[in-house]
Amino acid sequence: MKIAIGCDHIVTDTKISVADHFRELGHDVIDVGTYGFVRTHYPIFGKKVGELVASGEADFGVVICGTGVGISNAANKVPGVRAALVRDVTTAKYARRELNANVIGFGGKITGEHLIRETVDAFIHEEYQPTEENKVLIEKIDSIEGEYDPKEQNKELFDEYLEKWDAGYYKDEE
Amino acid sequence: MKVYLTADKDGQELKNILVAYLADENYEVVDLTETPADDFADSANLLVQKLKEDEKGLGIAVDAYGAGSFMVANKHKDIVVAEVSDEWSAHMTRRHNNARIITLGSEIVGPGLAKGVAKAFVTADYDGGRHQIRVDMLNAMC
Repeated sequence: MKIAIGCDHIVTDTKISVADHFRELGHDVIDVGTYGFVRTHYPIFGKKVGELVASGEADFGVVICGTGVGISNAANKVPGVRAALVRDVTTAKYARRELNANVIGFGGKITGEHLIRETVDAFIHEEYQPTEENKVLIEKIDSIEGEYDPKEQNKELFDEYLEKWDAGYYKDEE
Repeated sequence: MKVYLTADKDGQELKNILVAYLADENYEVVDLTETPADDFADSANLLVQKLKEDEKGLGIAVDAYGAGSFMVANKHKDIVVAEVSDEWSAHMTRRHNNARIITLGSEIVGPGLAKGVAKAFVTADYDGGRHQIRVDMLNAMC
């Protein structure tokens, strides 16, 4: 399988461990970054993973940040992505089986590497089992994408915020 | 600050426990589904609609696993939502992500943990500062 994987700078070591796990199992891994521990911004990497999965270039996506919340939000906001943020195998399998989830998110500071490995394995091997009931639910999830303008989802989307960041606009309180 | 709660049939019992708990803790609680929503999509969509009307409010959506409500609420523009099953994530997602909704699964968390998660969520505040660039980026997405 081809698996896209991304993280922010808080959990790069965890991401490498999960990526290596996939490589050891013979999967193709597309690691979109970040690659080190220099401060960056999770939406960049969540969006990249989401786009690889939505376009079909990757079969599944895995996203990891500190709690997993931020990067999972970015991935799930990409049209065509259904992401689950989990801390257990049970939810991961449910999200695949019933909701045809294609991205899974973890908190690298919440869930240990061994549980993450066990959970991603369960996720990618569980098959979606279509039913009349879950088809309706998936349609309801996907239909929300139609309420908003997809033209906004372009590569330059974040440029203005990065420029403001570089200009010192986003300051922590002293 | 009001705390809005919604649930489908699978989440109704746990949601009712949280409504009673948060009211006991003196929060202003609004139960949006005294009769459970037909499914998690209707439940989460209703919660998002209320939070768009009340920009200071927070929300908790309960279904069987928390995953469905998360996917639905997050698809809405300007909404950051956390699917959680631990107190620390619930606390940190307020502080760092400015998440206004958490989703819980009644098949995943018991009443005690659900109460701890709900309390951690509603008592934390958003830090702003450097975290705002990430929230701006999320809000730029659909």
